[in-house]
Amino acid sequence: AGPSAMSAPGAAAGGGSRSGAAEWGGFEDNMQGGGSAVIDMENMDDTSGSSFEDMGEMHQRMKEEEEEEAEGEAGAAEEEDGEFLGMKGLRGQLGRQVADQMWQVGKRQASRAFSLYANIDILRPYFDVEPVQVRARLLESMIPVKMINFPQKIAGELYGPLMLVFTLVAILLHGMKTSDTIIREGTLMGTAIGTCFGYWLGVSSFIYFLAYLCNAQITMVQMLSLLGYGLFGHCITLFVTYNIHFHSLFYIFWLVVGGLSTLRMVAVLVSRTVGHTQRLILCGTLAALHMLFLLYLHFAYHKVVEGILDTLEGPNMPPFQRVARDIPVVSNAVLNTTAKAVALTL
Amino acid sequence: FASCPRSQAGEQPPAGAFAPSEMLLSSQSYTGQILQPTYSPDTLSHLSYADGLDEEPPLLEELGINFEHVWQKTLTVLNPMKPADGNIMNETDLTGPMVFCLALGATLLLAGKVHFGYVYGISAIGCLAMHALLNLMSVPGVSHGCVASVLGYCLLPMVILSSSAVIFSLQGILGSLLALFIIGWCSLSASKIFTSALAMEGQQLLIAYPCALLYGLLALLTVF
Repeated sequence: AGPSAMSAPGAAAGGGSRSGAAEWGGFEDNMQGGGSAVIDMENMDDTSGSSFEDMGEMHQRMKEEEEEEAEGEAGAAEEEDGEFLGMKGLRGQLGRQVADQMWQVGKRQASRAFSLYANIDILRPYFDVEPVQVRARLLESMIPVKMINFPQKIAGELYGPLMLVFTLVAILLHGMKTSDTIIREGTLMGTAIGTCFGYWLGVSSFIYFLAYLCNAQITMVQMLSLLGYGLFGHCITLFVTYNIHFHSLFYIFWLVVGGLSTLRMVAVLVSRTVGHTQRLILCGTLAALHMLFLLYLHFAYHKVVEGILDTLEGPNMPPFQRVARDIPVVSNAVLNTTAKAVALTL
Repeated sequence: FASCPRSQAGEQPPAGAFAPSEMLLSSQSYTGQILQPTYSPDTLSHLSYADGLDEEPPLLEELGINFEHVWQKTLTVLNPMKPADGNIMNETDLTGPMVFCLALGATLLLAGKVHFGYVYGISAIGCLAMHALLNLMSVPGVSHGCVASVLGYCLLPMVILSSSAVIFSLQGILGSLLALFIIGWCSLSASKIFTSALAMEGQQLLIAYPCALLYGLLALLTVF
């Protein structure tokens, strides 16, 4: 009487849930291979654990499982809980099936979410480049366009900008190392990476936001690409001026090289924006940020040690260290002669 | 487990360019088999049940360390102008890379710099970044082990640089030129192996540049 009484609502539930499963779309299969989310009671074992007549059999099965699990401590705790509840709680077959299904569903949803959001394959088309294209775009980034009346094409590519940002990190690190810059709260590497990536991503996002306000036709990837290639001028300037220490040379490079790459970015943005006020806001902000960033990089991360450079043999030996190093040598010699004198007299 | 190559269950060595040399080496009665992690568990259990205590494979074979392979790959790295065989990196061998990382740390130690942690950290992060980039740029993907193996083997010229740093200081024009030469050597061999293994011939320079940045970072560690 028990199983047959359960089978009718089970069948109805199964039929009803089939249309429900189509709506939800989340539960695709269960252990019976059908399309319903609800456990079909008619297919379940007789000893489902939901009737008091099966107590004896549940006891027997629990004893077997306890012997199987050699770890044991979980079994003892659950046995008491299970006896208290009529259905043996989680140890009953119903409970086990529910837990199993929840695990399957959860795992499937997590893997689907992971494959959707953490899938780097969505970035794959932005890395499909040839060396010739990269070289052409690098050179183009220094040439301001003249035609600003119709929208200029921006290559939506991320390989070049990413490599330029990493190059800037490397140049910064090299500059910091050659000038013995000491970063007190943090590491050299962390500071360099944080600065460069922060600028690239942060300023791109900010200009994209401004472009959205000023109604400019540019997408996020295009903005990232444009600003990334604009860092080419920064790389050249810093590479030259970190090795040749002349302030005037830096200012010339800042104006010429930095100015050219800024002009290119500004021209591209102007060609994609309508209205004088909007163009002014957008391009003024970008120009100011770009030029100021170059100034900041030069002065903050490269201590220009002009006076000391002339008097040193190498960059790592300031004069006072040599004096301090002589003292232990003298004292050792003094100690040795004193020890010998003492030994001779004894 | 259905994807494990069942046809390889048994005593056959993995297919590759170095199978003949391995056959010549094993003069003993059993046909040696380098156990790779990709073998399915039932072949491993079959071996362990079938062999008694006396017939267990030697320790190096069980660990998957084959010095002949290591030597072959080292020779490939040392000569970047020779075209590389595409399938030499089919087996993920981390023995050589570990030896070279330790050698780099040891030679840095000889120069007075205790930078083991930096070497491992930079290598690990560099491997992750290269793995991501190569997966984005190539049609067949690569595994972490393959990337780590290639980058580790191409670290050998850097060991030469750091051992020369023991003898003379690299902070001059000569040191900078030597460092640039070594960086070029490392990145050229790494990109050569990657492009031949992933069939990306036109993009060797695009792969060489990130490798050059990674090795440049390690060179910065060595020089300063």
